[in-house]
Amino acid sequence: MAEQQAAITLVKVCKSFGTNRVLHEVSLTLPAGKIMVMLGPSGTGKSVLLRCLVGLMKPDSGRIFIEGKDITGLDERRSAGREQLFALRRKFGMLFQDGALFDDMTVGDNVAFPLRQHAKLSEREIAARVADDLERVGLKGAQSKMPSELSGGMRKRVAFARAIALRPKIVLCDEPSSGLDPVMSATLDELILDLHRSLGMTFVVISHDTAEARKIADYVGLLYKGELQAFGPKDEVLRSNQRAINQFFERSTEGPIQVL
Amino acid sequence: MTNRSVRWFEACAAFVEFLCAVCRCLVTGPRYLFETLRVMDLLIRRCLIPVGLAVAPVGAVISLQGAGLFRMFGAESLLSSLLATAIFREYSPALASVMVAAQAGSSIAARIGTMKVRGQIDALAVMSVDPIRYVVVPGLIACIIVTPLLSVLTTLLGLVSGWFFAVPVMGVDHGSFLANLYAQVSLVDLWVGMGKCMAFGTAVGLIAGFLGLRTSGGATGVGKAANDTVTLTIVLILVADYFVSMLLLRLGV
Repeated sequence: MAEQQAAITLVKVCKSFGTNRVLHEVSLTLPAGKIMVMLGPSGTGKSVLLRCLVGLMKPDSGRIFIEGKDITGLDERRSAGREQLFALRRKFGMLFQDGALFDDMTVGDNVAFPLRQHAKLSEREIAARVADDLERVGLKGAQSKMPSELSGGMRKRVAFARAIALRPKIVLCDEPSSGLDPVMSATLDELILDLHRSLGMTFVVISHDTAEARKIADYVGLLYKGELQAFGPKDEVLRSNQRAINQFFERSTEGPIQVL
Repeated sequence: MTNRSVRWFEACAAFVEFLCAVCRCLVTGPRYLFETLRVMDLLIRRCLIPVGLAVAPVGAVISLQGAGLFRMFGAESLLSSLLATAIFREYSPALASVMVAAQAGSSIAARIGTMKVRGQIDALAVMSVDPIRYVVVPGLIACIIVTPLLSVLTTLLGLVSGWFFAVPVMGVDHGSFLANLYAQVSLVDLWVGMGKCMAFGTAVGLIAGFLGLRTSGGATGVGKAANDTVTLTIVLILVADYFVSMLLLRLGV
């Protein structure tokens, strides 16, 4: 029954590339409508975890449930699996690390893209939604700009507007704060909290910014060397006094996490 | 050695899988008509001038070199027959296809490759849009349509430049030039030429899409994908063209 309330459940998920073990028996349950911040040093499989959630990568073993539905066996190369996978992905919005905006489309067309593909809306309704979402991310009136004219932070915010355009149930954010100035990353944090409050979306945020985790997280996880060192409600994890958690939050070089 | 053959086998299997996916997208919806038109527009703009520049001299060369030779036998009036046969049957389809491979193939492969390394292909997939349907198929259809169109242009250009160097420059009689122009070519040649163009266009679109989607390793990878596409398609086109021509000569068409 617990799985029905859970947005995301992972059971002993493993993934390796050759001899490189990226994820090892990662298990967690994230209730719907919560914000999870997955912390960890660079190169510890955080992005791979996100890609497994939307079926861009398959785990070698273990199971992944999205809203109680097992997605592990869905194969994009078979028509039944593809239909199911595409239906499943409509629950997701994803903010890629460097935005992944389409270079040859304007900002407005980028944000409108998922709406034109999947929402049964008129062009006028789409334009209204795009204007609304761009205003939400602080880029009012930027519709006709090209992505190449924007700064990194602005591109990321446009990508965020695109990720939430279809009002997905679950939003995955791959390092939303990396490469942004503190004020801009704080703005993005506020935006996540605002959307979380107003639309009740579930967020999975990949980050190595502990300040961000303190500010927005309901749940915190710490991934190191492919293993989930800690996971749980933020306060519990922070109070748990685990060495890896303490080291990460105190920005210390002393502790179990070693610089590679 | 075994490692390399395993990789080669893996690439072949991937290509067959890719072909199946492309066929599936061709027969089922949704179709991205606007995207197809956009790519066609892009390809025509990229190919028009280079193709024109590459083909125009061919007619001129045939006329310049041929006129003196034919004159020795008193067969000047037949120069235009050779010109038309060579251009309709061989140069126009082959050169148009090779130029489409060079210009269109490289730009399609580079575009898809860039989208791949920048995560835009994954972004499409996450937005439940099949990348093969959205980026590969429009490029393929555009190649199949644009190549014969360009071949018409190259034919005209070749004939005009041939005429210019035969009649005003080398002093061949205008009347006999026109009278013998179509003596040796038939409608079949025209259709065979068009068919070849469409087949070569298909090859360009497929290979560019396949190699573009397999791009890895940043900007270098994009360059490699574009380069490999051009090399592979041009070799393929020239070899296939040779066999088609031999076959047609055997059949006496």
